[in-house]
Amino acid sequence: MIEVERLRKSFVDLTAVDGVSFTARPGEIFGLLGPNGAGKTTTIGCISGLLTPTAGRVRVMGHDVVRDGRAARQALGVVPQEIALYEDLSALENLSYWGGAQGMRNPLLRDRIAKVLEITGLQDRAREPVKRFSGGMKRRLNLACGIVHQPRVLLLDEPTVGVDPQSRMRLLELIRAEARAGVCVLYTTHYMEEAETLCDRLAIVDHGKVIAAGDLAQLRSMLAERDLLRLSGVFHPAAARAALERIGAIEVLQADEGLLILSLAGASGKLPSIFAALAACGADVRGTTLTQPSLESLFIKLTGKELRE
Amino acid sequence: MRFVWIAALKELRCLRRDPFSVLTWMGIPLSIALLIHLIFGGGQAVPQGRLLVADEDNTIVSDMLTSAFGRDPLGKMLTVEKVDAPAGRARIDRGDGSAFLLIPKGLQDAFLRNQPFRIQLFSNPSQRILPKMVEETLLIMTDGAFYIQKVAAGELRPFDSGRSPSDDAIAQRSVDIRHLVTGLNKYLSPPLIELETTVVVEKQRNVTRPSFYFPSMIFMGLLLMAGGFASEAWKERTFHTLRRLAATPAPLASFLAGRLAAVALLYFAVAALGVATLRWLAPGEVSHPLAAVVWAALSGTAFFLLMLPVSMSASSQRAAQVLGNLVIFPLALVGGCFFPLEIAPAWMASIGRLTPNGWAVTQFKAILSGSLRPAHLAVAMGGLVAVGILAFLLALRSLRRGLLA
Ligand SMILES: Nc1ncnc2c1ncn2[C@@H]1O[C@H](COP(=O)(O)OP(=O)(O)O)[C@@H](O)[C@H]1O
Ligand SMILES: [Mg+2]
Repeated sequence: MIEVERLRKSFVDLTAVDGVSFTARPGEIFGLLGPNGAGKTTTIGCISGLLTPTAGRVRVMGHDVVRDGRAARQALGVVPQEIALYEDLSALENLSYWGGAQGMRNPLLRDRIAKVLEITGLQDRAREPVKRFSGGMKRRLNLACGIVHQPRVLLLDEPTVGVDPQSRMRLLELIRAEARAGVCVLYTTHYMEEAETLCDRLAIVDHGKVIAAGDLAQLRSMLAERDLLRLSGVFHPAAARAALERIGAIEVLQADEGLLILSLAGASGKLPSIFAALAACGADVRGTTLTQPSLESLFIKLTGKELRE
Repeated sequence: MRFVWIAALKELRCLRRDPFSVLTWMGIPLSIALLIHLIFGGGQAVPQGRLLVADEDNTIVSDMLTSAFGRDPLGKMLTVEKVDAPAGRARIDRGDGSAFLLIPKGLQDAFLRNQPFRIQLFSNPSQRILPKMVEETLLIMTDGAFYIQKVAAGELRPFDSGRSPSDDAIAQRSVDIRHLVTGLNKYLSPPLIELETTVVVEKQRNVTRPSFYFPSMIFMGLLLMAGGFASEAWKERTFHTLRRLAATPAPLASFLAGRLAAVALLYFAVAALGVATLRWLAPGEVSHPLAAVVWAALSGTAFFLLMLPVSMSASSQRAAQVLGNLVIFPLALVGGCFFPLEIAPAWMASIGRLTPNGWAVTQFKAILSGSLRPAHLAVAMGGLVAVGILAFLLALRSLRRGLLA
C-alpha cells in the first residue's frame, strides 16, 4: 500500500512534483505515466526516502516515510531508473549484497537468490562479473536485486528502458507475477503501450501534476470515443484551423506549419471532407495517421503535445 | 551492525576483482624506494668532502695519521688534498673544503718521546657532518697513538735520547716502526675500524640509510592509497549504488564503516609489508615493529577518511582523481613523504610537520627509532583516533551530499 497525499517536492530552481496524490493498493500495478521531466523519478525518490518531501505526506504500508523511514524502507523494494549494480561483482554477489542491505540472512537469502536468478533467467551466468552482461541482462538483474527480499511494496522506475523486446516481455511478466502474489507495484514509464497493457490503474503526470487518473476504462471514457487524426505536410495554421472548424464536430488540438492534430468522432467517414477543405485553403497533405482512443490521444488531448518528443 | 560486515566483504570482493589499482598505489612508492636504495645504498656514498692537509712534519707518523682518511669508509666521502699551511688556512676561511688539518713540525718526535703535541683542525661551519667525522677519526687516531706508546715503549725508547739521531738511524728506525705498526695493526685495527664505523653510522645523516628515507616512502604509499580508495568510492555514484542503498533500511554509517574496515585491513597488510621491508633493508633499526604497523595503518585509514570528502566534492570520478592528486602531491611534498623533512629547508619542515601526513610520519619515525615514549605514543594514538572520528563524520556528510547530487 502506498498513500501519497498532496506531495510536493521543490528544488532550488523548480518544483518537480506539485501536489501529487494517489493510492496504490496491494496486488495491483499502479502506473505513473508521463514524459521525461514530468516528475516520476522525483516522486519515487520521495517514496523511497532518498528525497525529503517539501510538503505533503507519503506512507508505505502505513509508515510515514519521513517520521518512520526505516520501517517504511523495510517494506520497500526499489528498482531504480539507472542500473544500480556493482559491475565488478557477479550477479550472485550483487544479490547477496542487496539482500543483506535489506536485512536478509543466510539460509533464506540463499534460497531467494537461487529463486530470483531462476525467474530472471540468469542462473547460468550467476558467477560472471556483471560488466560482461548485456543491457537486457543487467536490467533483469537490476529488477532481481529489488525483489530478492520479497518486498510488499515494489517501486519500479522505467525498468524496461533500453531493453530488447524479449527481455522486456520477460520483465513485464515478472512484474505481473509479483502483483499476482499480492505485492503493491508502482510502475513509472513514458511508454503508452506498456502502461496500457500492464497497469491496472494509472495516473498521467505532466509538469509535476496529475492531469488524469483512474483505470483504463475511465481514462478512455474521458476521450468520449473520439479518434485522433494526425496530418503532416505543409499548412497555413490559421487558414487550416478555420477551414476545419467550418466542417464542424472537429476539435483542433494542434496546428503548426508541418503538423495538424485533430480530435473527432468517426474520423474515417470524415476524411474526404477534411482533405477537400484543406486542399481548398492551399494545404499540402503528405501523411495521415488515424489513432483510435488511447492513452496517447488522451495525453495529447490533455496537454496539447505528444508524449514522446 | 551486520551490514558493516556485508559492506566490508563487498568492498574486498570489488578490490579483488580489480587488484591492479591497489598494486599501482603501493608500487609507485615501493619502486621509488627501491631505486633510491639501488642508487645510493649499494656502497657509493653520496656526500663528497675535501680535507685539506698541511703536513709540515712529513714523517712516517704524520703520514699514518693522514692515511687514515684515505681508508674506507672515510675514503669514499673524503678526498685528501695536500696543501701548505697558509693556503689551507685561506681556503678553509673561504669555505672551500670540509676541514683543514694542520700538522706542525715535530709530531713524530713528540710521539716517539711520548710528549704532548697539538695538531689543529679547522672545520667548515657550513658543513656539519664531514668535519665532525674528521674530528672523530683524529680522536681515534690519537687514542691509538696512546696505545701504541703503551705497547711499544721498548722499540720507541732509542728515539728518546734527547739528541738528533743520524739520518741513517732515523731511516732504520722508521723501517722498524713501520714493521711494528704493521704487526700491531692486527691488534689495533679491528677495534679502530669498529670504532670508526660506529662513528660514521652515528653521524651519517644522508639518504643512503633506509630508516631515513623509507618511512617517507611508506607514507607516500599510504597517501596514494588514500587518494585511490577515495576516488574509488566515487564508483558508488557512477554505479548509482549509493542511491539504491539509500532506499534500503541499511544505515549509511554502517556502509561507511564497512568500507572503512576493508580499507583498514588493506592498510594493515601494506603497513606490515612496509615495516617488514624496512627491517629487511635496515636490520636493527626498527624499534617497535608492531606499534609502527598499527600507527601506519591507522594513519592511512585516517588519510582515506580525510580524502573522501575531497573526492565526493568532485563532479566525476575522473575529476575526483585529479582533485585528489592536487591535494595529495603538495601534501606529500611539504609533509615529508617525497623526501624526509630532515633534509627540507627549515621553513618547509616547520610547515610540513603541521600537515596530517607530516605529523604522522614524524611520529612514525619516532616509533621506529624508539624515541617515542609509551605515554606519548598513547597520546598520539588518541589524537589520531580523534582525527579519525571527526573525519568519519565529515566523510559521512559528504556521502549524504553525494547522494543528492
Ligand atoms: N536533484 C535535482 N535538482 C534539481 N532539479 C531536479 C533534480 N532532480 C530532478 N530535477 C528536475 O525535476 C524535474 C523532474 O525530474 P524527474 O523526476 O527526474 O522526471 P521524470 O522521472 O519524470 O523524467 C526535471 O525538470 C528535473 O530536471
Ligand atoms: Mg525518471
